[in-house]
Amino acid sequence: MEFNLSPEQQEAVEKARTFTKQWIAPYATKYDRSGEFPLEICREAFKQGFMNPHIPDEYGGTPHRVLDHCLILEEMCTGCSGIATAIDANGLSQYPVILAGNDDQKRRFLAPMTEELMFSAYAVTEPEAGSDVSRVKTTAEKVGDDYVLNGVKWWITNGSVASWYFVLARVDDKPTGFIVPADSPGVVRGPKEINIGQHASNTVRVTLEDVKVEARNRLGEEGDGFQIAMKTFDHTRPGVASGANGISKAALNIALSYAKRRRTFDKKLISNQGISFKLAEMMTRLDAARFLTYKAAWLFDQGLDNAREAAEAKWFAADVAMQAAIECAQVLGGYGYTSEMPAEKLIRDAKIYQIYEGASEIQKMIIVGKLMRMKEVY
Amino acid sequence: MIGDIRKATAKIAERFKRRYYGRTFRCPVCHLELALVDVNGNRLMVCPVCGVVLDVEEVYGHTVPVVLDVEIHRPQPKTRIHPLATHIPIGLYPFAVLGAGLLAIASILGPAIPGLAPLVIRAPILADATLVLLVLSVGFSVVTFVSGLRDWYRRYRRRPYAQIRLKIVFSVIFLVLGGLAIALHASGAAFSATTGLVDLGSPLAIALAAAELGVLCAGMVVIATLGHVGGTLVFGR
Repeated sequence: MEFNLSPEQQEAVEKARTFTKQWIAPYATKYDRSGEFPLEICREAFKQGFMNPHIPDEYGGTPHRVLDHCLILEEMCTGCSGIATAIDANGLSQYPVILAGNDDQKRRFLAPMTEELMFSAYAVTEPEAGSDVSRVKTTAEKVGDDYVLNGVKWWITNGSVASWYFVLARVDDKPTGFIVPADSPGVVRGPKEINIGQHASNTVRVTLEDVKVEARNRLGEEGDGFQIAMKTFDHTRPGVASGANGISKAALNIALSYAKRRRTFDKKLISNQGISFKLAEMMTRLDAARFLTYKAAWLFDQGLDNAREAAEAKWFAADVAMQAAIECAQVLGGYGYTSEMPAEKLIRDAKIYQIYEGASEIQKMIIVGKLMRMKEVY
Repeated sequence: MIGDIRKATAKIAERFKRRYYGRTFRCPVCHLELALVDVNGNRLMVCPVCGVVLDVEEVYGHTVPVVLDVEIHRPQPKTRIHPLATHIPIGLYPFAVLGAGLLAIASILGPAIPGLAPLVIRAPILADATLVLLVLSVGFSVVTFVSGLRDWYRRYRRRPYAQIRLKIVFSVIFLVLGGLAIALHASGAAFSATTGLVDLGSPLAIALAAAELGVLCAGMVVIATLGHVGGTLVFGR
């Protein structure tokens, strides 16, 4: 068992940390307040090679491991999870193509993303189908060689800047995955949703009105869509967990810095046991969440089933992040409740980790589902 | 429309700030925007508005200001010359710009619209009034500048603040622009000394009048910024 990072991983982490300190954290408040899409930062991230790490090297990407990606994402989310989501959201829509796409689809949709700054979006969630993905109502009717899609997709991250979408739709009641170019007639992008946190992340409604999609843009066979959509999460959940770890790390750093300098009752805040124990607990929980995350990522990289570990990591890291953000605000006292200090943003940003890419309750269902197939737990 | 103008102005101001102030953060008490470069070697700074003593540290790229103390008894200027004097240039200068603008409009429209003749005849009076307004506003800006410097020495103890640096630089720019505008106007080369109007037959006169108007407009932007920045130092955000 090896806990050290390799020199290459260490170098990648240092590079991501520098990028975060220079390009993400200083602009976190600005984009949080304006709600603008951080295009300039994405441009710089693309230039420095932080975007599209999932794309295989034969399509212009770089050799990629989920663990490396988790390490980098944790750093970026320490700066601002909203901006980091804007940078990283391509991965969620790219992975279904990596997983189930044929060579032609990969060349047409993945390869161009390594050549210029482009975005794509994972359009699965619907107003009445979030955690229960199998309820999606969007239809895909076969007309000649093409499919005609109709439906409403909601909370689509990067939805208004995407060049194409991964869409889950029903073909004769069989969930099927499609790649839908954003410029297809009938694709209507809604306004940006005003969420409580991650304001830099672009989340919109995408309406599909008689959108014609060529059969060559169907991913896998008819009826494969649900499997593709679910399998994607085994890959992306460790990444989401590492995003939550980034928030925990930011919360801990801010609380620690404040507690070491703020004076109360003629001594430093950290000298009060009630405060110092909070910091100790935050650190321990962060480490525990990291180890779960790294293991889930490592299992995926080894080609092993990581569904349970990914669910554990995502659920636990999300709860740890939420708790860390709240404790950070508590350590900062009244200042933790003002918008001029970073703690309140962390609380708003952390909440979504307990909800998106499968709510915490869904993660527990996955874990129990795996347990039910076990005779003994080792 | 107004929203777009505000957005565009905010974008320009943001770029300007990023370039000349560098990284900024807000005082957690009065919300005044402060520049990170103004924090001294001990990581300390005193907010010029509310007087809180801040210990400012960058943590993972986030700025975390911690309030350590408050300066309750702050040196107050014995005579409030600066806040009084500052209103004179700010109040008079726009009228000088308006005067020059009206003279330029009268020069163009006067020959074309005979009905304007009674007003055009009085153009020399307006030209003289414009000059007086300019001299008064630029003259009093010298008083404002000197009294402002004195206040910086006393009230702010010569501490570096981005706002005060900006005010000093902009004051000098305003003095230069104002001096230039006075010279152009008083020379009678742009707006004729006898008619008070621009001689449209002379390309040099047109060029000089355009230059004067340009200088006056630039001065307007500078003085408006000075007033705005000065206001934030008194009232906070």
